[in-house]
Amino acid sequence: MVVDARGSWCPGPLMELVRVIQEEPVGTEFELWSSDEGSRNDVPLWLEKAGHELLGMTREEGYDRYTIRKKHG
Amino acid sequence: MAKRVVVVGGGIGGTTVANRIRRALESEVAGGQVQIQLVDREGIHAYQPGYLMVVFEKMRPEETRRDESQLLHRSIQLVKGEVEKIDSTANQIVLKGGKLVPYDVLVIASGSVIHPELIPGFPEGAHSFYDLSNAIKLRSALHAFQGGRIVVSVAGMPYKCPVAPLEVTFMLDDYLRSRGLREKSEIHYTYPIPKVFGIDTVAQPMQRLMGERGVSVHVPFNVDKIDPAAKTISAVEGEALPYDLLIAIPPHRGADFVGASGLGDKGNWIPTDKFSLRAEGKENVFVLGDATNIPISKAGSTADYEAEVVTQNVAALARGESPTARYEGRVYCWIMTGLAQATYIKFDYLHPPHPPTPSFAHYWNKVIYNRTYWDLTARALF
Repeated sequence: MVVDARGSWCPGPLMELVRVIQEEPVGTEFELWSSDEGSRNDVPLWLEKAGHELLGMTREEGYDRYTIRKKHG
Repeated sequence: MAKRVVVVGGGIGGTTVANRIRRALESEVAGGQVQIQLVDREGIHAYQPGYLMVVFEKMRPEETRRDESQLLHRSIQLVKGEVEKIDSTANQIVLKGGKLVPYDVLVIASGSVIHPELIPGFPEGAHSFYDLSNAIKLRSALHAFQGGRIVVSVAGMPYKCPVAPLEVTFMLDDYLRSRGLREKSEIHYTYPIPKVFGIDTVAQPMQRLMGERGVSVHVPFNVDKIDPAAKTISAVEGEALPYDLLIAIPPHRGADFVGASGLGDKGNWIPTDKFSLRAEGKENVFVLGDATNIPISKAGSTADYEAEVVTQNVAALARGESPTARYEGRVYCWIMTGLAQATYIKFDYLHPPHPPTPSFAHYWNKVIYNRTYWDLTARALF
């Protein structure tokens, strides 16, 4: 499942991730696409605090792709 | 037979787009080749950005409402009725009671619906300002407030006007100072992610301002439940905050008929192409405002800018041309940073916002906009 949050400045990519993670079942894998450089710090930090898993991050032209797994309800 | 353009929703987006389409197709409407209808449940237009101003007695409740019929051009037919579902195969809207409204081109501007009941304890334990009656109740609660602990909390995602929690916090600080209650009060702000707003260019100046105003920040804080008896709000992260007065932002969802029509995602938001604003997979259906699933602000400004693009694309379709207009993600929102000062954010898909230093001048621009909204945006006269 792809959460394309490129160009999302308000409320921002991480808020989009929070929204989608609430809606989807445990075990779901997401790709979050973000063009906000702040996500490089925010996404891993929030995932660690929230107890979800960052499977990987790759840099693309103009944006980053985060692969994430929801770990709990 | 006239081409039928139907707009669902008489809020900011629906009203302005209906009037703009009428103007773009002026000769076709006058000549009877195009007919425009707007479907709205009550026929009352609510200026929702005014609710926060009602809380702090900067607008009167009646200044936030007008009859929709007064705002629509006389050649647009207002159909009062609640949408039960949209049959996008048969190109018709089914209203509750069974009335059918057929369309050739459809614009969905059905907005968002607040769902405080999704958070246990919210309806009994929290104040909010996302509808007029609750804004008036909060105004009364603040009037009676004599000091204590106030918590401002975002209790669900998504929510409209993403900067509103910041605004109510700063306005509250100013309001309490003006009443000589700030020294007897604490303001606590919670947000679901590890900072006070979604991106650094806004979060950093806002968090600095909160520090200067003595606001305590609790992040990340994803609301789990509210206990109205114990007067506490708890987060899934484990933190629980006591409060004397709780101002919370309720979770939002898209309109029920979106789900019933099979047009939405799990939150009843309509998957929409972020550039053309077409509903995905539907050649003759456009979506704007809160109703889309586009990951940008659910705000009146968004709907206003999107309406320019939808107007051009609907007009093209009505003329048998290809729709080519693109929405580039433009949004402009003021952020109240006190009772008489503001800053703003202006951005598009490629350019993040950089709010300027708060000032009275920015606040005054917002006041002027609030006063001119009815002609400038709703009637789309300029």
